[in-house]
Amino acid sequence: MESTEQTRPRWRWGTYRWLIILVIVANVFAVKAFSPVKPHIQLPAEAVAGPVTLPLIGDLYLTNTMIATLIADLLLILIAFSVWRVTRGGAMILSGVPQIFEMIVEAIYNLTESTARKWADTVFPWVATIILMVLLINWSELIPGVDSIGMLHEPHHGTPAYETQELFAIGDFHVTTITGEIETEVVSDSDSHDSEEDIGEGLGFTPYVRVASTDLNFTLALALTSVIVIQILGFRAVGITYLKKYLNFGRLGKLLFREKISPFDLIFPFTDIYVGLLELIAEIAKIISFSFRLFGNIFAGSVLLFIIGTLVPVVIQSGIVFLELFVGLVQAMVFGMLVMVFMTMATIAHDGH
Amino acid sequence: MDAEAAAALRDGLKFLAAGLAMIGTFGPGLGIGILAYGAMQGIARNPDTAGTIQLNMILAIAFAEAVAIYALVVAMLILFV
Repeated sequence: MESTEQTRPRWRWGTYRWLIILVIVANVFAVKAFSPVKPHIQLPAEAVAGPVTLPLIGDLYLTNTMIATLIADLLLILIAFSVWRVTRGGAMILSGVPQIFEMIVEAIYNLTESTARKWADTVFPWVATIILMVLLINWSELIPGVDSIGMLHEPHHGTPAYETQELFAIGDFHVTTITGEIETEVVSDSDSHDSEEDIGEGLGFTPYVRVASTDLNFTLALALTSVIVIQILGFRAVGITYLKKYLNFGRLGKLLFREKISPFDLIFPFTDIYVGLLELIAEIAKIISFSFRLFGNIFAGSVLLFIIGTLVPVVIQSGIVFLELFVGLVQAMVFGMLVMVFMTMATIAHDGH
Repeated sequence: MDAEAAAALRDGLKFLAAGLAMIGTFGPGLGIGILAYGAMQGIARNPDTAGTIQLNMILAIAFAEAVAIYALVVAMLILFV
């Protein structure tokens, strides 16, 4: 035991302090050499691969947020596969990635069981999938290269064009960096006057990978799926009477068989119908709040990272990255826990009071 | 008014509108303050439950923050779309 403690590499503050200072100094010089360019902030995702025309649906593009989603999917499947490979051998005590994964899944399961109780086994897969998926996708914005490695192309209308400088080339594969933004007016009529000489013509920039949560399509799809599954679970749990939550004509129906109706008897039946209507609106509001909460948080986070990265490109951004680490975790937790709570609420019979 | 002045005015109004939209963060700010106040009182009275209270506080803060985020999304839609 003693020897393993001894051989474990410890945090050597004396050495690492100089390394950190060296990195900061290198950062300062790197920023001097290639000053950061203010990135173009765009709401819709950029298309990376050209349109595939399908009948009825129309043009389909492969956007950079879709690539991010696919990468997250692949990572999740890989993690699942590695855990499966370890547990298949009947290992009781896990270590490494499977152990961390076991801890996460156990924490989520305990949380689900304490809320959903009887329906925990039905609710858990949805909640765990959403939390892990959203967590991976949210944290992908912290990886250097996401949003900043991409391809150059002819500038589109409305997007800025950039000056580029070639760094090095491997065969036909040219690696360039963006050194500055060209005013869009210059690009639009560059062919009429001033033949561009040493600047080179401006090129548009499209990142290969952009955080999927900054695309409203992703969050909306997730929210729609969640809300639809919540309804299906409600029908499974309480049967067709689940509809009474939205269309509550029960007391109005009873009223029809009454002989004498006073005006005050009408209050409660119509209140029921009104409440049902409000529940219906609440479901739509759920979709909107689900999708906009995640989208807004992560989009604001990535914009913050962009802006801080251009304004103060040294040191400060690390603090923002830490903040975003926290925001990404909290948003994934909130999305998952809300789905959990709404699913549990749907499984509880509504007329039981 | 010539085209340039009109464009400048439009840009200025855009920024003004984005700023006005961010007034919506006023309420969530108050809400988060109240939440933290309640949570800290709870922790002070019963330090053993600090973990649970913190988790629930962070969740509730995320809900309150969501409203501010809506305002932020509106401001960003005004600015960048």
